[in-house]
Amino acid sequence: MTRRYAQRGIDPVVAVDSVDLEVDTRSFVAVEGPSGSGKTTLLGLLAGLEAPDEGSITLLGHDLLRLSGAERARLRQRRIGIVFQSFGLIASLSVVENVGLPLLLAGLPERERQARSRAVLEEVGLGSAFGDRVDELSGGERQRVGVARALVIEPALILADEPTGSLDEANAAGVLQLLTDAVRRRGASLVLVTHDPASASRADQHYRMRDGRLTAGALA
Amino acid sequence: MTLLRHAVRLVVRERRRSWAALIGVAIASALITSVLLFGVASGSTVTRRALADLPVDAQVVLAPGADTSAALAIVSADPAVRTVSAFELAHFDSAATSKSGTATQTSVGVLVGVEPSYAATTGLFTLSSGSMAAGEIVISRDLASNLGAVPGDSIVFVLPGGGQAPLRVSGIVSIAGADLLLGPIDAAHRAAGANPPANVAVMSRADLESQVLPKIPPTATATDPAISNGSAAGPSPVFAADPAVRRELHVQLDHAQLPGDPVAAQTWLDTVRRRIEKQGAGGLQWIDDASASLEPLAADLAWGQILFIFLALPGIFLALTLSRLAADATADATRRHAALLRARGATRNQLRSVFMGATVLTALVGSVLGFAFGAAIGLALFRAELAAAGLADAFFRAGAVSIALTTILASLAALLPLRAQLREEIAAGRQELQRTRAPLWQRLYLDGLALAVGAVVYVIAGGSGIHPVLNAEGNPTVTLALTSFVAPLLFWSGGTLLLLRVVRAILRRSGRVARVMGRLLGPGGELAGRSLSARAEAASRVIVVLALAVSFATSVLVFHATYGQQQRIDAELTLGADMKAVPNAPATAATVARLAGPGIAASTPFVDRVVYVGPEAQDLLAIDLATLPAVAPLADSFFQGSTAADAIDALRARPDAILVSAETAKDYSIVPGDRIHIRMPDATGNLKTVDFTMAGIALEFPTAPKDAFLVANQSYVAAQTGNDGISFVLARAAGDVGAASTSLVRRLGTGWQVSDLRTTTARLANSITSVDLSGLVLLDVSFAVIIAAVGVTLFLLAGLTERRRELATLVAIGAEPKQVRVSMLGESLFVGVAGIVTGLLIGSLVGLTLLQILAGIFDPPADFPAIPLTLIGAMTGVIVVALGAALVVADRGLARLSVVAALRER
Repeated sequence: MTRRYAQRGIDPVVAVDSVDLEVDTRSFVAVEGPSGSGKTTLLGLLAGLEAPDEGSITLLGHDLLRLSGAERARLRQRRIGIVFQSFGLIASLSVVENVGLPLLLAGLPERERQARSRAVLEEVGLGSAFGDRVDELSGGERQRVGVARALVIEPALILADEPTGSLDEANAAGVLQLLTDAVRRRGASLVLVTHDPASASRADQHYRMRDGRLTAGALA
Repeated sequence: MTLLRHAVRLVVRERRRSWAALIGVAIASALITSVLLFGVASGSTVTRRALADLPVDAQVVLAPGADTSAALAIVSADPAVRTVSAFELAHFDSAATSKSGTATQTSVGVLVGVEPSYAATTGLFTLSSGSMAAGEIVISRDLASNLGAVPGDSIVFVLPGGGQAPLRVSGIVSIAGADLLLGPIDAAHRAAGANPPANVAVMSRADLESQVLPKIPPTATATDPAISNGSAAGPSPVFAADPAVRRELHVQLDHAQLPGDPVAAQTWLDTVRRRIEKQGAGGLQWIDDASASLEPLAADLAWGQILFIFLALPGIFLALTLSRLAADATADATRRHAALLRARGATRNQLRSVFMGATVLTALVGSVLGFAFGAAIGLALFRAELAAAGLADAFFRAGAVSIALTTILASLAALLPLRAQLREEIAAGRQELQRTRAPLWQRLYLDGLALAVGAVVYVIAGGSGIHPVLNAEGNPTVTLALTSFVAPLLFWSGGTLLLLRVVRAILRRSGRVARVMGRLLGPGGELAGRSLSARAEAASRVIVVLALAVSFATSVLVFHATYGQQQRIDAELTLGADMKAVPNAPATAATVARLAGPGIAASTPFVDRVVYVGPEAQDLLAIDLATLPAVAPLADSFFQGSTAADAIDALRARPDAILVSAETAKDYSIVPGDRIHIRMPDATGNLKTVDFTMAGIALEFPTAPKDAFLVANQSYVAAQTGNDGISFVLARAAGDVGAASTSLVRRLGTGWQVSDLRTTTARLANSITSVDLSGLVLLDVSFAVIIAAVGVTLFLLAGLTERRRELATLVAIGAEPKQVRVSMLGESLFVGVAGIVTGLLIGSLVGLTLLQILAGIFDPPADFPAIPLTLIGAMTGVIVVALGAALVVADRGLARLSVVAALRER
């Protein structure tokens, strides 16, 4: 797949350039690369948030280009968990409300949302914080809430965009461990994009990304 | 200079921010400009209408012995003078006629001498029947009625000093509109509201000079009608006597030279007076009838303009609030720009200066744009009136006030949130930061305090703030205590703050709002509920703006509808009914039958006769109780201490029952049951004392003057005086008044003069209290709709700006486009329903309070306010459509949202 961004007066920027990527079920794939190499765009394409200019994407048996916007949204809502570098939490909501958001979008009743959110918060070690406001939490705790929100739908695939990028070393290691353990327990796949070679080194498959191009192989 | 350059650059580069702020400021400036121009236009209209009805602008009284031709030459040479007509007036002590051996006599009156062209020039003394033959006279309807004289009869006039002038009648003349010219000219008489003579004979000036004036001694004085009963004549004990003969020049000025503003017009008239009196070297005395008509208008207009500003004040406040909403909508851009400047080394003070400069610059540009818009609206609505008042001057004044005022207020309104935004930037705050502490006014309970103080002021002021009174010349004017505006202002501001407190409290209960909206609209609705709770500050602010915009428009519509209703009642009161037919020749009650025909539902004979209560002349209205209630409008507010039905029943209860005006009851300490002796003309024209029993107090009555009048049974008056003549017939139309009136004129022919409501309403519109407020209402309501639409659009766009990352996150975790749209729809619905419903309620209450406070400008006061449901419904519909359009704008903004790009933002 290829994704270009048009720019006024200059040649378009090719953010993702003829990338071929296959992610197996239950596998942990890491894409490592510097800032601006096209990692986040690649993740956006995989999530169906953007459409490639060329190529195709088949995700969990669905050709993304053939799905409508609503169908792609429902696919993300029910099968794909996303973890963001800057947590992507809604400050005005409590911890349990943030975690239950995907379930709310799926139309689940409040009682079920609460029960499932509490269970997954226990799993990530935030059982006692579910009523707190997210802006009262530390960075590490916030990212655990982000991970819990991705896990609460019991996803088949988790897309993580620099999940440890905003954390110190100790918190980064803890969150990554939590994420990989939870994914393995659920038999889901994980695609992690990161600029941190140490984080990428935990993956089953490693890819490097430079100027929009993806190359397979162990990191140097 | 560097800081100023940065400020200009900020305005130019942050186009979205600048446009949002400009719109709010421009709306405020346009509203202020158009309201000011409305004030100028109404001033001009009122001035011109007041003078258009005046047949003569000034009476130039010639000193005894002054040369008429020389005076005519001096006056007509003045550039401000359009026409000059010579006019002479001689009083007579009595007039008598003798037919078939029966002599009939009537009391005092005047003989008038004019040039043949006078009627065409002034519109006065038009012939109703017959002709003005040389050496003969035409007489007024009253004189004809009192003497039973018809063309061909001879009348002998007894002149002051005892001389007699026998003159032959050749026709009947209308003296309508000549009251001021026929009445006394000295200020004291006029201030006392002296009644002009009804017995009038008109002849050529040459005939008057040859047949009448030589018979009056030069030192003779006029007899005061109040003490004349035909046998005893003499001077008034109260006022200096008028000379028996007056020689005058009647002047019409060139109104095109007249300034639109009544005060400036008075100054101009004064200049003309001084110029002509100076040339006359003491031989000319200028009686300025035009200035006397304008005097009450100047005061009325000043208060009227306060009223206009008061009616528009909420709109101006709301428009300025838009600046605040605009600042909210662009807070993100402000923070980003501030961070950039800080990164480049700007100090805190420099940062503040740059943003303040940009804010003031935006306010100034917005004010100028708004002025241009307001001026265009003013031109479109009031072009003719503004042109009459002087376009350049009107625009210059309105522009100076609106640009200065809006720039200052808009700068202040925008600088308040800016301070907070810059503080947040400096503290590296995040856009999610929530205010944890209630604002100062909320902690001090200023809302409750304002409402309580407002209630106290309202009670102390007695509710009503405007009262009509008579000025020295006897013209009605308006007085108003400025403090009477304090109560509604406190109610308005206290109510606004209370509404803000309540809405905030409701929105902060996030769970409940979200659950209710979730039940109604599904997941999107629940998202909307949670978003509203999260943005309780901004949401409550826009709900309040919407509620106040709707309440502002509603209160203005209620006020205007009641104003229109009372204008019609006022016209009905003045005319007496839908139509009034005045016979040119003496008529009796039996002639009522002649009015029956197509378009006439009912008619009633009416007698209006000048009678004397003590020395005071009053109008006696003798009515036919069987037919009047079906013809003339009678409201409960016309009577003091009883309903209309009770008052009519009291008259029916005894033949000699009489209703007196409040002024008469007070002056003579009369209470119901008291006997009253009234002198009134009998069939011979001599005054006869008739006894009545006081049955109640009438504050208003169809056709009655504002001050002193009496209402009695027609049959009793006819029986006591032996005079069954009527003055006119009132009629009610079965359908369209215009069509019925036209048909009636055709049916009755030239022997009757028919007037109807349409012409009376137009004639009444000569005071600020009867200014057509439609233009102002159209302006206010249009601006309210624009403010509501722009307010909600800014709220939704601010939501998009503030929550770019939040919306992007929602989309990323699986929010369907429809759910995000429903969420926005839910927010708009909540804001719209809460704002409109609360606004309609507050608007009705404020409208009623406004009516109570301004009750004095309604004459008569309104029994019930008029609620224009169709107009309010249409206004609400337009606001709903505007909200829909705002939603579409926000939806387009949402469609342009790049999720991946928004997620990258830190």
